[in-house]
Amino acid sequence: MADIVRKQIVSVEGQTVRERLQAMDDSAVVTAFLGGEERAFSELVTRYQTRLLNFVYRTIGDREKAEDLVQEVFIRVYRHLHRFDRSKKFSTWVYTIASNLAKNELRNRSRNPLVLFQTVQKNFQDEDRPLQFEDTTSRPDDMYRKRHLREIVEESVAKLPEHHRNVFILRELEGKSYEEIAEITDCNLGTVKSRLNRARNSFAEIIAPYVD
Amino acid sequence: MDCREFCEQHVAFVDDTLAGIELVRMQRHIAECESCAKHDAKIRRALLLIRNLPSIELSADFSERLEARLKECHSEHLLATTQRNLRRGAIAATLASAVMLGYIGTTLYHRSDAPRDLVMPPVIASIPEPELTPITTSTPAIVASVSAGLTIWPAALFAEQVPVHFAHSKLELANYTR
Repeated sequence: MADIVRKQIVSVEGQTVRERLQAMDDSAVVTAFLGGEERAFSELVTRYQTRLLNFVYRTIGDREKAEDLVQEVFIRVYRHLHRFDRSKKFSTWVYTIASNLAKNELRNRSRNPLVLFQTVQKNFQDEDRPLQFEDTTSRPDDMYRKRHLREIVEESVAKLPEHHRNVFILRELEGKSYEEIAEITDCNLGTVKSRLNRARNSFAEIIAPYVD
Repeated sequence: MDCREFCEQHVAFVDDTLAGIELVRMQRHIAECESCAKHDAKIRRALLLIRNLPSIELSADFSERLEARLKECHSEHLLATTQRNLRRGAIAATLASAVMLGYIGTTLYHRSDAPRDLVMPPVIASIPEPELTPITTSTPAIVASVSAGLTIWPAALFAEQVPVHFAHSKLELANYTR
């Protein structure tokens, strides 16, 4: 009986800590983790894993590799969090790590054509997969149209030059401010605005024939 | 506002970050310029598509894999910390041993019957005698040379050199005659 009560207390305490962590902003969660609260790291992972996966996936276009890179981001965060300058935004730091890893991946691919070929081949295999991630209650032609449109949008994004695409995704999909993008991509504000303008124009040009 | 200025400010216009007066100027330009209005519509429609792109989800084993990697990372970190602490501990133990040995040595020394003041053998200092070079020539001649600043050799020395000079002169003379 005493054991059950103790377990209940522990679980209630655990839940309280988790709830408290959920209510905190990133900076406070980081402080909690550095103060020895291991659960704080899980909270950071929960907050950023899907966002980072989408960001990396849209940048490199390979889902499996994107997951590996996101894991690598968290490993690096775990190892180097004590070095993080807490006067800055945690999200910017995390995105900077992810952006650098994605850039390295693209650079490695351009140096190794075999990897590029494998990725292309994988994408072709993806074409044969059954429909997924769609609302199954929709009519089949609607589902096809939606999936087709999504693919067109993704392909159009992939066609943008790397440095334009990076800025474009950070702004349009991640909703980052110009200042944050400048910090993540290590560019000045003017360059960010100029790249964003060009990326928007290019994207609109590429996709226009499909949506008109 | 011309079309070039409109294009330059279009990013801020779409993101709604323009100041009030600039915003009004942009809106007026769109109302007047059909080409820029089309361009604006095209960009906004494209952005609507990208912004509504469905989010991709993590695979089922993502968390498991991450947890395993983090555990590995954590144990590596612990191992590194332990090794570092052991190294520090070893250094501290060595220092402590040295201090302890020093203390024991000092204590033993103070407890022994050995006299506290050191008795050193007496130091005997001596001044080396100046070297005296014997003067073979006659002393008055030397004294005379010192006061004049020039060497005045006694006649006895010149007399010693004479035969040599003569012999030499003879040899030279012989050469000239030949």
